[in-house]
Amino acid sequence: MTAPLSTELGRRAGGGPAAVELRDVSRHYGTKHDLVRALDGVSVAFAEGSWTAVMGPSGSGKSTLLHCAAGLERVSGGQVLLTGDDITAADDAALTRLRRSRIGFVFQSFNLIGSLTAEQNVALPLKLAGQRVPARQVRQVLASVGLDERRRHRPRELSGGQQQRVAIARAMVTRPSVLFADEPTGALDSASARQVLRLLREMVDRAGQTIVMVTHDPAAAASADSVMFLSDGRIVDHAAAPTAAEVAERLARLEA
Amino acid sequence: MLRLSWSTFRERWQLFIGATLTVCLGVALVQSSLLILVSAAVGGYVEAIALLGITLGISAFLAVFIVSSTFAFTVAQRRRDLALLRLTGAARGQVRRLLLSEATLLGLLGTALGVPLGLLVMRAQSWLLRDLGFVPAEFAPRWQGWILAVSAGIGLGVAVSGVLAASRRAAKVRPLEALRDTGEAARVMTGLRWFFGILFLAGSVSLVIVSSFAGPEGAIPLAVNAALTAAVALSALSPLVVPLIGRVFGVALRGSTLGGLAQANLWDGVRRSASTAAPLIVLVALLLGQSGTLLSIGEAGQVEQRRDLRGDLVVTAQGQTGAASVPGVDVAAPQLRLPVRTTTTTYEGDGEYETEADNVDALVVDPAAYARTHRAEPVAGSLTRLRGNTVAVTADSGFPLGTTVDARIGDRDVPLRVVAVLPMTFAGGSMLLPVDAVPAAVAARAPSETIVRLAPGADAGAVRGALGEFGEVRTLEEWIDQSASRQQQVSTGIMTVILGLAGLYALIAVVNAVVIAAAERRREFAVARMSGLTRGQVVRLALLESWAVAAIGLVLGGLAGAGTWVGIGAATERIAGQSTIVVPWTLLGVVVAGALLVVGATSVWTAWSATRARPVSLAGAAE
Ligand SMILES: Nc1ncnc2c1ncn2[C@@H]1O[C@H](COP(=O)(O)OP(=O)(O)OP(=O)(O)O)[C@@H](O)[C@H]1O
Ligand SMILES: [Mg+2]
Repeated sequence: MTAPLSTELGRRAGGGPAAVELRDVSRHYGTKHDLVRALDGVSVAFAEGSWTAVMGPSGSGKSTLLHCAAGLERVSGGQVLLTGDDITAADDAALTRLRRSRIGFVFQSFNLIGSLTAEQNVALPLKLAGQRVPARQVRQVLASVGLDERRRHRPRELSGGQQQRVAIARAMVTRPSVLFADEPTGALDSASARQVLRLLREMVDRAGQTIVMVTHDPAAAASADSVMFLSDGRIVDHAAAPTAAEVAERLARLEA
Repeated sequence: MLRLSWSTFRERWQLFIGATLTVCLGVALVQSSLLILVSAAVGGYVEAIALLGITLGISAFLAVFIVSSTFAFTVAQRRRDLALLRLTGAARGQVRRLLLSEATLLGLLGTALGVPLGLLVMRAQSWLLRDLGFVPAEFAPRWQGWILAVSAGIGLGVAVSGVLAASRRAAKVRPLEALRDTGEAARVMTGLRWFFGILFLAGSVSLVIVSSFAGPEGAIPLAVNAALTAAVALSALSPLVVPLIGRVFGVALRGSTLGGLAQANLWDGVRRSASTAAPLIVLVALLLGQSGTLLSIGEAGQVEQRRDLRGDLVVTAQGQTGAASVPGVDVAAPQLRLPVRTTTTTYEGDGEYETEADNVDALVVDPAAYARTHRAEPVAGSLTRLRGNTVAVTADSGFPLGTTVDARIGDRDVPLRVVAVLPMTFAGGSMLLPVDAVPAAVAARAPSETIVRLAPGADAGAVRGALGEFGEVRTLEEWIDQSASRQQQVSTGIMTVILGLAGLYALIAVVNAVVIAAAERRREFAVARMSGLTRGQVVRLALLESWAVAAIGLVLGGLAGAGTWVGIGAATERIAGQSTIVVPWTLLGVVVAGALLVVGATSVWTAWSATRARPVSLAGAAE
């Protein structure tokens, strides 16, 4: 057995604290006799302004990693730091505040609220945070994902790609320091997927957005700055700016 | 936040309409029962007051039970939505406030609709009372201004308190649950369920024990209470039973794909099944508990009469008859039925007296003849002293030997001294008066029956013919049968008054729960169809599952209802010396068939309309 690989990903500007850092994080499920080690001593730092793709075979712990890093799931051991603050033991109120201001989520199933229009869905996080919601800001964010005209539509009247872009707009409207995305292109056709990836790229390049993205798609992973590979709850490999072919090849080796 | 509620409302209108409907009907029923009760109390219709008290109690109970379980159900159904809100940054307090303000709105809406509906219900209810003869034809309940405050209090109160516990639980929903498709919380048997389940189970057991010591008067309200508490207990504990019933269905439909799927769905949707079954449990428990009790009391009375009466013929007439002088008649014991109003005054301390009036059906008898035609001996005193202003009472009347009963006979106030105490009886007739305590004019108008014993060797046919000139003549056996069937009619009347509208309310709640349960399953149905089930198969699957849920309601409700029979069985054993439990088989059959029919039809209808859209449009889009 190799010691868990400690990984630091992306460029580090000026040596400030990483946007997200996991220190020796484990997450176990089940009982003592029937223990699933979804995460097994993972240490990794995601630098400010970096876009990291997380890959690995099905069941390797990618989603679990994302949920733990975002404070959605309690860790069984280790620490999670968000721009240097330890959130491992944060209470529900503190985690709620985090979700309102510093963390954004995008998931494979778009998770929009079906009864609200695109515009209302995007404005919701601000409203829940008790902030005044400037209509202009909401429209701007929707325009930035190219959906200004469809703002009055409900999710079921939008295509999958459009729904995912609304979800991205909703995640971005609070200007979070980290955006977590779990297979954001998983349910999309290749054209819509390319559009979403282009959007993420722009966010990283223009606004210095930090993104952690789980994906199965080598092409999507290749759009990121770097790729880390998980297997059986451990980080087993990483690559800086690989091509899609390189990613596919490393993945195939893992799954073999 | 309100905008969110409004748009959720448009999306999930079945949930909200269902919830509002339960509030509306509950308010209407309680308001109407209360107004009628107040009017009956003002008018002094004592017989109706007791009945209406029970009716009001049941209505209030149902309103609380049905509204709170429906509201809790709607909250549980929206678990995934709420998790999504939490994921988007809603704090726990916000989720609770959202749910509570929704409950307030729905409570207000339900009240606003329930108050006018209550006036219609009041009409129906008082018509029923008049039609069944519990109140005179001129009885008309009056509107009271203060009832608005009561109704609003009930509507808002039950809605908000119903959501209170559910909202606390919902606020604890983890944001991550928004990402899992099976939105149901793993633990359905919460601590609260165990607590209430065991508490109410203990309560119903003690009520059954108490009712076994009750007289015929107390038995009905006690049985109702025992049935209701048992129903609450079993509804709280029903998640324990759901998997069991699921297994029974699984075994019964072994090998069939739909059977297996239905079983899996039952296991997966324990909370849904339990919530759907809850109103049915109450309805079945009430119907069976109540009718079993009434039938058993009637039967016990009949058994008593058969054992107690010694005679051959009964003459039904008005006032005294000359039956005693007919040749061949050994004894003729007349008993005149006379309404008597008694007042009891108790000293409350501080110079305050509390006066309570009661209307009883007294029997005016000739003590000597009475003693020769009835086997029951007084437990205290003696019937021979029943002369002048005296009275014999039954043991449960509350008047000890030697005390004085203040009675109003006709238009005279008469103090009557208690000279004999008779054993408790189910057959009725709680007070015996001697003929000389009653003015002759009053006695002459009273309906009477005269129990006749033939002299040895008398020609029954000839005597019967001779007695015919006084009134209608039957054999004792015929007469007992006839009074039993009259008793039966009264029982049915009592059932109708107490359970007619309340039962309808519970039935609507059953339908409502089935509709709410199906409303959330569109997506699941769509997925099932995408994986190869035809629309017909999906509908049949829903039907199977709903029958399993109906079976849960029937079994648990039946248990709760049958539990109350234990008490009445012990009571009849103690009083009549023979345990009589009459199982209302006909009603049981009707209830089983009705429940399967109503629940089945509703679920077929909802599943059919939920599968109207093409599956892709639902399965693809996230909700
Ligand atoms: N709530 C849970 N209870 C029990 N085990 C779980 C739970 N969540 C995840 N697991 C287990 O943890 C392991 C990692 O799961 P995870 O969802 O992180 O995988 P993944 O890499 O995201 O897979 P996929 O690519 O298929 O989404 C799996 O073996 C899974 O079965
Ligand atoms: Mg995953």
